[in-house]
Amino acid sequence: MPLPPKLQEIVDDFASMAREEKLETLIAYAESFPTLPDWLKEKRDSMEAVPECMTPVFLFGEKQPNGGIHFYLDIPPQSPTVRGLASLLANGLDGCTPEEILTVPGDFYLPMNLQEAVSQQRINGFTGVLAHMKHEAVRLMQNK
Amino acid sequence: MSYVHPEYLVETAWVAEHSNDANIRIIESDEDPLLYAIGHVPGAVQVDWFSTLQHPLRRDFLTKEKFEEVNSSLGIGNDTTVVFYGDKSNWFACYALWLFQYYGHKNVKIMNGGRLKWEKENRPLVKEVVSYPQASYKAKEADKSIRAFRDEVLKQSNAKKPLVDVRSPKEYSGELISMPAYPQEGATRGGHIPGAASIPWAQAVNEADSTFKTADELRALYEGKNIKADSEVIAYCRIGERSSLTWFVLKYLLGYPNVKNYDGSWTEWGNLVDAPIEKS
Repeated sequence: MPLPPKLQEIVDDFASMAREEKLETLIAYAESFPTLPDWLKEKRDSMEAVPECMTPVFLFGEKQPNGGIHFYLDIPPQSPTVRGLASLLANGLDGCTPEEILTVPGDFYLPMNLQEAVSQQRINGFTGVLAHMKHEAVRLMQNK
Repeated sequence: MSYVHPEYLVETAWVAEHSNDANIRIIESDEDPLLYAIGHVPGAVQVDWFSTLQHPLRRDFLTKEKFEEVNSSLGIGNDTTVVFYGDKSNWFACYALWLFQYYGHKNVKIMNGGRLKWEKENRPLVKEVVSYPQASYKAKEADKSIRAFRDEVLKQSNAKKPLVDVRSPKEYSGELISMPAYPQEGATRGGHIPGAASIPWAQAVNEADSTFKTADELRALYEGKNIKADSEVIAYCRIGERSSLTWFVLKYLLGYPNVKNYDGSWTEWGNLVDAPIEKS
């Protein structure tokens, strides 16, 4: 099953980048990170407190009139790598249907060859964010 | 009581005043490798624990020759005072300091409170990357007296000598094999090394500003768990980064003469065939 076109494009771009370019691109994603709209801040505040050493990732999917999903993210600026990776994924999957999102394999990022830029543990963050997004997709399919 | 070796610690105000001194180099070492690019202490250079400090192939640190190259390129000479700071309460700042010590660079310090305190005080963070004139650094042979390897850890455990497990309580008990909410990977078994005392690293720092607790508080914390100055102590965590912080506290703030960091830590021990494990 092919990846959603936008995500495929991002994966291909990364695959062809040198290490420095990858880092710069992740920084650009991290820096263009949108702020959470006010209507979501309340939901954010009602989330559970986060234990000591993890990066708190808040993610909310909203179904658009055409059936595609838009993801809102909130991740602290102290974690630019997680911000960058999550934002890249949100961009790549923007407007996809829940079904399309559920087909994205957990190892989609392997061809991006990120391990030359970031440690394995950070890269694993992708898997975490993608899993969150799939939960949201399932929630929206069930119209909850 | 004050810290036994206070010269290994500087405050943010001191760094603000001295960051441009010719014989001082400020190094940022973070868990998140992109933080430096987003903004750093003016004049600071970066080492990344992963891409700079690890061996590119095997599980080990960069070689002595590579360490010399890195330092030379950062304009660090043998007499340069190196001050480390970073995110996450200075985890990886302590890790980098420990590694500098390993290759014989003695003149090292931690900026108390790290990035968090610097940010909270609204001190400047800049994107400008300063390059310094190439130096010619000569490293010493690796100092194994501060690094523990698995056979030694097994002997330590068998001899019932002090081991400090600095991971979170659930990692110690075996319920989790990584930090809470981090990916559960890296070890096939959960638990701790038999006889290890559980003293999570975070108990050594003040949550509000990441500074170290007072000498009295620290002494009470470790002595309360029977980790005393007159014994040989080995600290470990998952990959040796959080335990570098504990190593720094025991070695310099409390002045324990014999402390080692076991960088193999749980990702080695929890995979090691025939290694004894305790669960609780």
